[in-house]
Amino acid sequence: MQNEIAKSAGEIPVSEAVRYNESLHQDTTAKLFLVSSITYFFIVGIVALMIAAKFVWPELLGTVQYLTYGRLRPLHVNGMLFGWLLAADMGLMYYVVPRLCGVKLWSEKLGIATAALWNFIILGAVVSTIMGWNQGWEYAELPMFLDVLVVVAWIMFGANIFMTVAIRKYTQMYVTIWYCLGTILWTAFVYLTGNFAALFATGVNQANLNWMYVHNAVGLIFTPVGLAIAYYFIPKTSNSPLHSHKLSMIGFWSLAFVYVWTGAHHMLHGPISQWLQTIAIVFSVMLLVPVWAVVYNFFATMRGQWDQMRDNVPLKFLMTGVIFYLLTCFQGPMHSLRSVNAIVSKTDWIPGHAHMAVLGAFSFFAIAGCYYVVPKIFRRNLFSDSLANWSFWLFLIGGVGFFVTLWLGGFWQGWQWNNPAIPFIDTVVALKPVWIVRFFSGIFMFGGIVAFAYNILATMLGSSGNESSKMAAATA
Amino acid sequence: MRDYSYPSVYFAYFYFVLLLVGAIFFFLRSVRHGYWGKDSEEAKYRMLKDDDEDSYEDLRRPL
Repeated sequence: MQNEIAKSAGEIPVSEAVRYNESLHQDTTAKLFLVSSITYFFIVGIVALMIAAKFVWPELLGTVQYLTYGRLRPLHVNGMLFGWLLAADMGLMYYVVPRLCGVKLWSEKLGIATAALWNFIILGAVVSTIMGWNQGWEYAELPMFLDVLVVVAWIMFGANIFMTVAIRKYTQMYVTIWYCLGTILWTAFVYLTGNFAALFATGVNQANLNWMYVHNAVGLIFTPVGLAIAYYFIPKTSNSPLHSHKLSMIGFWSLAFVYVWTGAHHMLHGPISQWLQTIAIVFSVMLLVPVWAVVYNFFATMRGQWDQMRDNVPLKFLMTGVIFYLLTCFQGPMHSLRSVNAIVSKTDWIPGHAHMAVLGAFSFFAIAGCYYVVPKIFRRNLFSDSLANWSFWLFLIGGVGFFVTLWLGGFWQGWQWNNPAIPFIDTVVALKPVWIVRFFSGIFMFGGIVAFAYNILATMLGSSGNESSKMAAATA
Repeated sequence: MRDYSYPSVYFAYFYFVLLLVGAIFFFLRSVRHGYWGKDSEEAKYRMLKDDDEDSYEDLRRPL
């Protein structure tokens, strides 16, 4: 009887679920989010290549309005951020949070409805960006009705996760849950400010609100959810306990108090108050505190475990992502300094930096999570370890080529812009070799996407490519 | 068009204060719940076993 009551309250301990001969976790929502996000990763990857090609061959695709740079770029940005990365992170949260709480997801039906609504929003975003129905604000391009639907979907997601945490078995929450809850609250704040409040301001106030949104979309949405994933999957895939839970809490709280003030560093040397610029610089430099707390914890967790990097593909993605995270978070404070910013601001350096954060760090974490989770929730072996390894190297080679080229190109571009004797058009022509390398790096990265997406799809469909799977099948 | 700059800025200040108060409240609660005490490391060991059910499931797969 007691077990029945516990079951109806969603509090079936793992041991009880085994006795009942049933699975504690359905994972339907996680499956839906992961399948759709990986599909968008592939589709928007094609758009990314088209954009990179247009840098080198501007006449490519002619003058078809739907395929112009102005239409494709917001499609690429919104598709990658919300169609791939955030959706994959949400899918992984639906997997991780119930397990860390020792209970079922509060409502699988609500989760499925959230996945359906999220897909409707992404498809709406594809149509609206291609059609040019665009609010004209960085990261906030989507029309108002889609913004409202994002808020509704986020409330549905947040309610499900918060209620799951509320009925948890254990009082103390692992750091991943703290980051998940932080992401849900901060996203609400950041998204409402960037997509609604900013529309009612004018002039420099409007620009300032927009940059606060843009920076915190990375800092208070993708950073905490990315770290939530890394904190879960690094100990899991290496089978080693986290170095220090207390240090992870220091990282969480220092991020919570520091990150929100940094957005104005996008407007250095602009027409905003000097005190606001200085505050943004000071807090940007203070970011080194949470970053080092996080990175040290991960490296210390790996002490004595580095040999696993030879053949543990999820761990390769995770620890490479940690290195990219360290690099990008060192870059950020440095180029928020006035002297450095005078050179790199608005140049190709910035997309190099942003791609290292969103692709190099947070997408690597999400890819590792998918490689770990998909075989478990579909109860099949990964289709091919070898293909997974290929996907890692393609992403790494393409990514490093892309980031380094854009940093060097951006710095060069900045030096040229600072010399009034050089006509602007000459600085555009001079950068063509940089954009050629960028395009070919993009081909490598797209190869990584194809290998990753095919591997996951084949795993879901139950194809057997692994030697171990074949041997198991042969002996059976 | 009316300029809503000041209401927007006050709204943003209000939001900041709301989040700051929330952050301080939950930070103090985390102290009370022992996240900074001697039992603070327990969660990191427990999480390593949280998906053991998946391996049980494999054993229960029909032969």
